[in-house]
Amino acid sequence: MSREHILSAIRARKLIEAPTPGAYTAPKTEGDLAEAFAKKLSAQQTDVRMLDSMRDVPDAIADILRGRNMAAEIRIAPDSELAGLDLPNVEVRREPPGQFDAAVTFASFAIAETGTLAYASGKGSPASWHFRPLLEIAIVRAGTVVGELEDVLAALKSRGGIPSTLNLVSGPSRTGDIEQTMELGAHGPKSLAVLVLKS
Amino acid sequence: MNQDPRQFPKAAREALNDPLLRPALNRMKMNFAARRAYGVQAYGDFETLRQAGRDIREYAVTHLDTLLETFEASVLAKGGKVHWASDAEEARQTILSILREAGAKTVTKGKSMVTEEIALNPFLEANGIVPVETDLGEYIVQLRHEPPSHLIAPAFHLTKEQVAETFREVHTEFDPNRSLVERNTLVQEARAVLRAKFEAADAGITGGNFITAAEGAAIIVTNEGNGDLTRLLPKTHIVVTGIEKIVRDMNDAAVLLRLLPRSATGQAISTYVSIMAGPVGERDEQRSFHVVLVDNGRSKLLGTEAQDVLRCIRCSACINHCPVYGAIGGHAYGATYMGPLGAALNPGMIGVAETGHHANASTFCGRCAEVCPVMIPLPKIMRYWRAVEHAEGLAPKSITFGLSLWAFAAKHPLLYRFGASLLARLLKLMSRGGAVHSLPLMKGWFAVRDFPAPQGKTFHEQWQTHR
Repeated sequence: MSREHILSAIRARKLIEAPTPGAYTAPKTEGDLAEAFAKKLSAQQTDVRMLDSMRDVPDAIADILRGRNMAAEIRIAPDSELAGLDLPNVEVRREPPGQFDAAVTFASFAIAETGTLAYASGKGSPASWHFRPLLEIAIVRAGTVVGELEDVLAALKSRGGIPSTLNLVSGPSRTGDIEQTMELGAHGPKSLAVLVLKS
Repeated sequence: MNQDPRQFPKAAREALNDPLLRPALNRMKMNFAARRAYGVQAYGDFETLRQAGRDIREYAVTHLDTLLETFEASVLAKGGKVHWASDAEEARQTILSILREAGAKTVTKGKSMVTEEIALNPFLEANGIVPVETDLGEYIVQLRHEPPSHLIAPAFHLTKEQVAETFREVHTEFDPNRSLVERNTLVQEARAVLRAKFEAADAGITGGNFITAAEGAAIIVTNEGNGDLTRLLPKTHIVVTGIEKIVRDMNDAAVLLRLLPRSATGQAISTYVSIMAGPVGERDEQRSFHVVLVDNGRSKLLGTEAQDVLRCIRCSACINHCPVYGAIGGHAYGATYMGPLGAALNPGMIGVAETGHHANASTFCGRCAEVCPVMIPLPKIMRYWRAVEHAEGLAPKSITFGLSLWAFAAKHPLLYRFGASLLARLLKLMSRGGAVHSLPLMKGWFAVRDFPAPQGKTFHEQWQTHR
């Protein structure tokens, strides 16, 4: 059996075993984490807006759609955090978005070090929503912005481990595959907007 | 397109004379090196990070057996399945049987060099399954029936006009007179075509940049999001990866995730980092998750002087900084792995007789080792393969003859001194304007360079006078 074959081939080699590596500490982000997150992600072609609360979300979404000349129509992810989101004048649908749609998602965490949204997949947070639409509008609470990826991992550990998919998103989809020139909207969203809620 | 590493010298000469390749290579060299330099500088203490990355990978390479067993148990616990493949043939058969069981007819693929290494696509096609590459660069080279010419920029050698020509030929569903001048138009066309493929695919195959033992997770990084659609939309997801991609846990991976994008493209993080553990549940209804662990010559590098190359995280920094790759590009190598990585890996995985030339094609300038995020001593490993080639009598006759002639002289001081002083004077006589322009039997060498003329006396003679 190949399993035994490979494992015994490995064991047959007398190796000098390397010592257990010590923990690495990344340089810490200084100052307000939410501000640092917003600054980093803004530098990655992302429209990041700081809002006071969920009450300001409908206006922001309407403004984002208008700014991109998109129809007043949106898909909202089945997240309990978004259940109460009421968008007057916008047609709301709940099925998965298609490639020309706008979608609203809710990020479990954000990471200041790299300007990254972290989505733990689950019933309310289907992973494919971050790749299907043309425009993704992500909502995240300022209180869930952490310093580094390690902080997200620790938080998830205390909630029973990493989910089937943990997506880290740091900007709209892009490619440099044609003449090494960056173009947006390769497969995932061409456009990413993030609403950071202060409370 | 060279598909035979034995033809490397000939293919390299042809590449040097390829007028389209030159501007692409020049842009590639400038681009990647400048971006990496910026990414490294912006991080701050990159050396400490590099050392941590090296230690993590070194631990993994010397604990492969226990880590892989833990990984298997973790994947099982999350409802996935692990398959082991000793060689390319077994890997192909394993993947085929998973696909047959899933009743798959079409398969979308995320970027995976291991599936290139095991020549999966032609095999699937021969067995009635249609593989569709979805990374834009991979998609383009697949349509053109070419192998990727770079680990992370598979189509960098092509111009946008060549891409447009290919799209016009293949995408016959669109208006033949449409404009394909802008790069973004090409990108959007590929997006639309491939989205339909994603929706229709029965299975998705991705690589794994890292796999983690403790969580049973496979991690992929992309900028396009194609790897995720490959995993998330079809019913079956297969990860194909090398046994050496294992690390202890997500915290180890977090360190490497800082090193990889900075070394590759200078990015602080790739746009999408996806940590995938088990089948997709929730509303993206997925039913099966498989990991195929491929050995294919890796385990036999353990305990040899080439072992360190197993630490590699496939960032391409060595390739991007290599003057040899920078002159000839990736296709000339005639193998999946090119540049300094190929030179260190191919003789061990494919064979010294077949790929010894890869290790010989180096000036030993050492830039590859300087930029390697996990501190692989690449020139040292190339030197090791040269020694093996020599010991096994596989080195080209012209080289061994010349070297043995020199070795004989070097071991006989009187002969050496006499020969050297004769040669120095002879070369001076033959020179014009301070340089020798040609010598018998060395036409090739002199075709592109001159040799500075000796100024009269040999080192030994001058030493006698000035000591």
